[in-house]
Amino acid sequence: MVAAAQHPNIQLMTYSEVTEVNGYIGNFEVTIRQKPRYVDHKLCTGCGTCTEKCPTKVPSEYDLGIGNRKCIYINFPQAVPNKPVIDAENCRYFKTGKCGVCKKICPTGAVDFEQKEEFITEKVGAIVMATGFDLFNWEDAYGEYGYGRFKNVITGLHFERMSNASGLTGGKIIRPSDGKEPKSVVFIKCVGSRDEAKGKEYCSRACCMYTAKHAHQVIDKIEGSSAYVFYMDVRTPGKAYDEFYRRTVEEGAQYIRGRVSKIYESGDKLIVMGTDTLLGRPVTVEADLVVLATAMVPSEGSDKIAQLVSCPTDKDGFFAEAHPKLRPVETMTGGLFLAGACQGPRDIPDTVSQASGAAVKVVALLNNDQLATDPMISQIDEKMCSGCLVCKGVCPYKAISEKTITERIGGKPVERVVASVNTGLCQGCGNCTVACRAGAANLKGFTNQQVLAEVDTLCR
Amino acid sequence: MAKRIGLFVCWCGSNIGGVIDVPKVVEITKNFPGVAYATDYKYMCSEPGQDTIIKAIKEHNLDRVVVASCTPRLHEPTFRKTIAKAGLNPYMFEMANIREQCTWVHSDDKEGATQKAIALIKRALAKVSRVEPLFESYIPVTKKALVIGGGIAGMQVAIDIADAGHQVILVEREPTIGGKMAMLDKTFPTLDCSA
Ligand SMILES: Cc1cc2nc3c(=O)[nH]c(=O)nc-3n(C[C@H](O)[C@H](O)[C@H](O)COP(=O)(O)OP(=O)(O)OC[C@H]3O[C@@H](n4cnc5c(N)ncnc54)[C@H](O)[C@@H]3O)c2cc1C
Ligand code: SF4
Ligand code: SF4
Ligand code: SF4
Repeated sequence: MVAAAQHPNIQLMTYSEVTEVNGYIGNFEVTIRQKPRYVDHKLCTGCGTCTEKCPTKVPSEYDLGIGNRKCIYINFPQAVPNKPVIDAENCRYFKTGKCGVCKKICPTGAVDFEQKEEFITEKVGAIVMATGFDLFNWEDAYGEYGYGRFKNVITGLHFERMSNASGLTGGKIIRPSDGKEPKSVVFIKCVGSRDEAKGKEYCSRACCMYTAKHAHQVIDKIEGSSAYVFYMDVRTPGKAYDEFYRRTVEEGAQYIRGRVSKIYESGDKLIVMGTDTLLGRPVTVEADLVVLATAMVPSEGSDKIAQLVSCPTDKDGFFAEAHPKLRPVETMTGGLFLAGACQGPRDIPDTVSQASGAAVKVVALLNNDQLATDPMISQIDEKMCSGCLVCKGVCPYKAISEKTITERIGGKPVERVVASVNTGLCQGCGNCTVACRAGAANLKGFTNQQVLAEVDTLCR
Repeated sequence: MAKRIGLFVCWCGSNIGGVIDVPKVVEITKNFPGVAYATDYKYMCSEPGQDTIIKAIKEHNLDRVVVASCTPRLHEPTFRKTIAKAGLNPYMFEMANIREQCTWVHSDDKEGATQKAIALIKRALAKVSRVEPLFESYIPVTKKALVIGGGIAGMQVAIDIADAGHQVILVEREPTIGGKMAMLDKTFPTLDCSA
C-alpha cells in the first residue's frame, strides 16, 4: 500500500470519484471529484489528537458495524494516507454548529470545516477498472439463517475484522452478542453462491479457501474449540491450496457435506440443523458463532461506473472481458482494461497476476506515440443526412454527435444539423448504418452497396 | 479500368479439400466476372501459399484479391499483410469462409458443400468488386493511465505501470486504499499479513 502511495509516478487520489469520462483510446478526458475531507492533508501530520478527543461515536463501516469509530477518523492503523477525514453526516459541528473540538485542539490547524469538493480534469491514454467486489446481501435471501436477526450469525468478512490483530478486538475472536469467546463455531459455505434460487449461479472461488483458513484460525486461537464446516464441495485448485485444506482437516476441523436447512436460537446458543448427505442422516450442531461464506458480487455502484466509461458487463454485472480465453484483461472498448474481482470472483494470487497482465497491456499502449485506427468505420454522407440522429441513439460507443453545417439554398446560407462520426470512438459495428433511414450512414469497406451486391448475386 | 480479381482457394489440408471438390470449384469460379486469375493451394496461409499470392499479383497485374479459406477472424490480418507486400492497398481484399461456414458443417454432403462454397465465393467476388482503397489514420496517445479502484488489483496495476515509466492516477473512493485485502487478517495460502 505504501509502495503505491509513495511511487513518484503515481498520483494517489483517495476519497475521490470519477464523475465523467469522454474521449477514446489514447485520448480520454476524465473528471474526478475530490470529496471534502474537512482536513487539510498538507497541514495534517496524522498525530491523531483530533480522533482521540472527538466526542461523537458512530458504528464503523470498516469494521462492518462490530465496533465504533469517531466522527473524525482513520479507518485502520496502517491506512494510506494515514490522515483523518470528517464524516460530515454525523459530525456535531455540521449538525448543530457546536463542538469543533477537533479544530480547537489540532496543533497544525489542519481541520477546515469550509473545505469544498473539488473537480479535477485530467487527460489519460488508458483506463483500468479495478473496482473489486462486495458481498452478497444474504439478509434479504436466507430466512433459514435468520435474515440477519441473530447477532451471532456473521459473514466471513466480519470474522476477518475480528481476527485481524489491528482490528477492534485486537485479533480476538468473540461473539458479537456478549463478547465471549466462542467454543463451537459453524461455517457455512456457498451462501448465495451456486444457488440459482436464492443467490447467484456461479462459484465465488475464494470462499472454500478462506473458510479453511478461518476454521484453522478458530482451532489455532481458541483452546478447546471445535470448528464445523458445512459444504457442498471443497474446491481448492491452486498451488499449495489442497494441502492447506487437508492440514485444516488434520487439525480437527469437521467437514460435513450438506446444506444447512435451519438455524434458531436456544438460550445463548445457535442450533444449526442440516443433513449430512454422505451419511444420509440429519445432523444438529450447537454453535456459539455461525460464519457464512457469502458470495462475491460486483461492488456497489459498479453499474454506474460501467455506464460512465462504456464498459460492457456480463449477466451478473461483472465487467466483461473481450474474450474469455484470449483477451481476459481487455474489454471491447479500446483503451479500457480490467483487473481483479471486478471482472469476476477471484482470490489475491489471481488478482495480482491479472493486474500485472493488465499493466503490460496498458504499457504496450502507452509506449506508442500514435495509434493507427481501423479505417473500416462509419461515415456520414452529409448531403443525405436528414439530421434525425437515430444513429446517435443506437451507437453503443457514443461515437456519434451532432454538428451544424451551413448550406447554400437558393443562394442563401442555411444552417442545418447533421450527424458526425468520431473516428477515434467508432468501432465499425454497423448499428448506425442499419438504423439510418436516409442511407447516409455507411461503413467504409462494408458499404450498403457492397452488401446489396452480395445479396443480389446470391439471388440470381 | 476493368477490375482484375485474383482468387485463391485453400484446401486447409483435408479440412476443406477433404470435403469439397476444390479443383472443380476453381474451374467454375475462374469464369466469374472480374476474375483475372484463379488457383488453389494446400495451405494458403503458409509461406509458400502467401508467395503464390504475391507472385500472381505481380504477374497477372491483379488489383484486388479474394481468398476462400477459413474465418477472417483467423487470417484476414495475415492476407491483408500479404497483398500489401505485393504493393496493393491492404483493404482491396475479401475472404470467403468455406471452412467454418461450409466444410466443417456440411461434411456429410460433399456435393451440396461444393455448391455452397461456389456461392460463398460468388458473394465475396461481388463484395470485392465494389471495394475501395482505405487508409488508416493516426491519433495521438496521452502517456498517462487512470486506475479506478485502489484495492490490491488497482495498486498492483498502478505500481507496474509506474515502474515501466508512465504516469498513473489512482482513484479510490474510500478514505484509504487497500480494498478488501486490507480488511483481512492473514491471507491464504501462506498466512502472511495482508496490509
Ligand atoms: C472474507 C474474505 C476473506 C478472504 N481471504 C482471502 C485470502 O486469505 N487470500 C486470498 O488470496 N484472497 C482472499 N479473499 C479474496 C480477496 O479479498 C480478493 O481477491 C481481493 O480483495 C480482490 O481485490 P480487488 O482489488 O479486485 O477488489 P477490492 O479488494 O474489492 O478492491 C476494490 C477497491 O476499489 C474501490 N472502488 C470500488 N468502486 C469504486 C469507484 N467507483 N471509484 C473508486 N474506487 C472504487 C473500493 O473502495 C476498493 O478499495 C478473501 C475475501 C473475503 C470476502
Ligand atoms: S467537530 Fe465533528 S469531528 Fe470534530 S470533534 Fe466535534 S464531532 Fe468530532
Ligand atoms: S469457492 Fe467453495 S464455498 Fe465459495 S462458492 Fe465456490 S464452492 Fe462454494
Ligand atoms: S459503426 Fe457502430 S460504433 Fe461506429 S458510429 Fe456506427 S453505431 Fe457507432
